[in-house]
Amino acid sequence: MTIDAAAFAPSIPAISIARPTKRGATGLNKSVGHLVMAVLAIFCLFPVYWMIVTSLRPANEVFDTSLWPTAASLDNYVYALNAIPIIEMLGNTLLVSAVVTVVQLFTGLLAAYAFARWRFPFDKLTYTLIALTWLVPFQVVMIPNYLLVADLGLLDSLAALILPHFAAALAILMLAQAMRSFPREVLEAARMDGAKSWRILWEVIAPNLRGTIASLTILIFISTWNEYFWPLLLSRTPENSVIQIGIQMFMTSEGTQWGPLMAASTMASLPILLLYVGLQRQVIQSFMKSGIR
Amino acid sequence: MSEAALSTHGGTVRRRRMDNWRVTPWLYLAPAVLTLAIWIYWPLIDASRLSFYEWNMLPTTPQTYVGWQNYINIFALPKFWQALWNTGIYIIGLLPIAVLIPLAIAIYTHDLPARARNFYRAIIFVPMIIAPVVAAAVWRWLLDPGHGMVNEAITLFGFRPVRFLQDPKIAIWTIIVITGWKLIGFSTLILSAANANINPSLVEAARMDGASKWEIVRDIRLPLLRSTVLFLVLMTILLGAQWSFAYIHVLTGGGPLGATTNIFYILWDFGFSSLSVGWSSAAAVILFLGFGVVAFVLFRLMDRYSFHDN
Repeated sequence: MTIDAAAFAPSIPAISIARPTKRGATGLNKSVGHLVMAVLAIFCLFPVYWMIVTSLRPANEVFDTSLWPTAASLDNYVYALNAIPIIEMLGNTLLVSAVVTVVQLFTGLLAAYAFARWRFPFDKLTYTLIALTWLVPFQVVMIPNYLLVADLGLLDSLAALILPHFAAALAILMLAQAMRSFPREVLEAARMDGAKSWRILWEVIAPNLRGTIASLTILIFISTWNEYFWPLLLSRTPENSVIQIGIQMFMTSEGTQWGPLMAASTMASLPILLLYVGLQRQVIQSFMKSGIR
Repeated sequence: MSEAALSTHGGTVRRRRMDNWRVTPWLYLAPAVLTLAIWIYWPLIDASRLSFYEWNMLPTTPQTYVGWQNYINIFALPKFWQALWNTGIYIIGLLPIAVLIPLAIAIYTHDLPARARNFYRAIIFVPMIIAPVVAAAVWRWLLDPGHGMVNEAITLFGFRPVRFLQDPKIAIWTIIVITGWKLIGFSTLILSAANANINPSLVEAARMDGASKWEIVRDIRLPLLRSTVLFLVLMTILLGAQWSFAYIHVLTGGGPLGATTNIFYILWDFGFSSLSVGWSSAAAVILFLGFGVVAFVLFRLMDRYSFHDN
């Protein structure tokens, strides 16, 4: 029984995306196709566009519906930056995301290597148990996790945001799969040269898994950056929170300050959007390789 | 060869090597296994234990053993059944947005030129990387009954503004569409890629045989896309209601009148709003068991019906 998203990846022939079209479609058909895609594209992009446009409107024009502000202003950004410690929160988010990414890759490489290199008692069972964690909804384990963090005295700390993410099934499974297709002769050759298992992992295998590691880096970083639920349980003070919690602070029951809210949302999305603009192909491929999460 | 060389040295060396072999993989596995044991498997056991207790999460108050009472109470609770029902609605509502529409779009737009497709691809993927809280904030702004862009447009056409998130009949569909907004582009990409991977000569051969467009779709494309479609259906059923959590939390808080709550949200509600650990844990156990059964059945079906063409 295969449980993990990564295991399905081969059945999604996602990697070869750009197929050159040999035969041009008939004119009418093609323009309807364009129309369909254009509608979908507008539906997908308009909310993001509207967020940025609203964030740039001066305070007295927030309710305006023109597609571009008459006079773009950064007032909302100044307001948002003064209202909550956004820079600090962005720094926290960056720190948490970076640490989680590095640690998860590290533990993932180690665990995947164990499965690829050795046969040992209960190896299949352990692998299955790791894969099954992917199916445990976070809401099911949140209370014991919360209590553990409280017992450790780590409520309202960045460490608690990182700890549960020390290892994740996705990284382990994707790396294990990549290692399985690693040529055995190379491993054997390294072993004959007397290389210790530790050196083989870091000097022979890891450098050859650059593609998978890059994909995972993108995936882990983005999903940690966007995480909301776990920080929501733990955060008490803005200084120890991540940016996702900061956004929420502009939505109060007394009413919402739309301008600053959109400015904060834009600032929270900007790093990821810039990453996407820079590495668009790699980002899309990473997500498609891993299934949906 | 190294094995052979070693064996001549006799038993002790080999035994040490065997022991070494037994321990080493576990050393490599230790960080991952410990993390998952501490943060997932132990909590599962602890949640099952707590589901038989009454407790309000304060360290100073005692945990009182109440047997099956939490389960009995939950099953007697209309709110629980409403949440369960809504979970089904979330899944059923998401299926067309996350699977059917993308499938239609993928098949319909497969012969667009590569350049145009790359352009659209770059755009429709964007919602996938937007944080759920940001998405919730932006949609809240777009759908605001007073000044939101969508209602401005609706009133422009002479209709009355729609209370997207305040009307109990509409709110759940609003949340479904917002959840779907995150997924529709990505599903389309996955299906387009699968569709583009279909061997063109198959389609060509069918065309030569005089198959109509619809026949090609029905007899060639759909069967070949079956495993990808099944995969997306499976993901939607297993995770669809979970994906909506952030939107429910930020936009409606489960309301109005519990209209948008689902089983994942009710766990959070029991645990961290009502501070009733026992109820939340009992609901967690029910959810986990139900989830496991559904997952098992789905994976079985997937194994049986998915089609591997290579």
